[in-house]
Amino acid sequence: MQWLKVFIAAFFEVFWVIGLKHADDPLSWAGTILCIAVSFYLMIMAGKVLPVGTVYAVFVGLGTAGTVLSEIIFFGEPLKLSKIILVLILLLGVLGLKLVTNEDKGAESS
Amino acid sequence: MSWVFLILAGLFEMTGVTMINSWHKKRNWQSLFLLISGFGASFLFLALAMKELPMGTAYAVWTGIGAAGGAILGMILYGEPKDAKRIFFIAMVLSAAIGLKLVS
Repeated sequence: MQWLKVFIAAFFEVFWVIGLKHADDPLSWAGTILCIAVSFYLMIMAGKVLPVGTVYAVFVGLGTAGTVLSEIIFFGEPLKLSKIILVLILLLGVLGLKLVTNEDKGAESS
Repeated sequence: MSWVFLILAGLFEMTGVTMINSWHKKRNWQSLFLLISGFGASFLFLALAMKELPMGTAYAVWTGIGAAGGAILGMILYGEPKDAKRIFFIAMVLSAAIGLKLVS
């Protein structure tokens, strides 16, 4: 459940990173700010149970991977082999962190 | 000057990350204030640095200082796990993220 918060936080991070770059009217700026609030709220809340250093690294990493992929898919950025390899390394690192992280930090679980 | 802004941005990000722990422990207004203003100042200085530096470079350095520094401070100040596997996988995620920002 805690990891799901981190993953959803990273999902919203992709939207606000794109928003910061492409927003050009009050509605898209409002959406961007809402995405910043949702993603930071979920990331901070996940840090209550999971180690904050781990949460923040995964948050930043998945956000970056998602942004790079969506720029390729939706904004016509070139698809390079180096990007694919780095995304795969990043996902392996996230998987590794998920496997080695003990979720019982003492706080309540939900 | 833009490099000074960039390093400040990274240091403020480290502050923000560290305050997440502080806030969960203490639940006081100081922590919440430092958390929000830390990340806020971090974004402000990052934007200033990006006026002169290439975006990929700026993002990569910012992520490196903030996320790695935040993880290290978490281990020193808040007793987060220091086992080799955890450090290895955090380094793996951050190196890949920095690489992606440099090649994009």
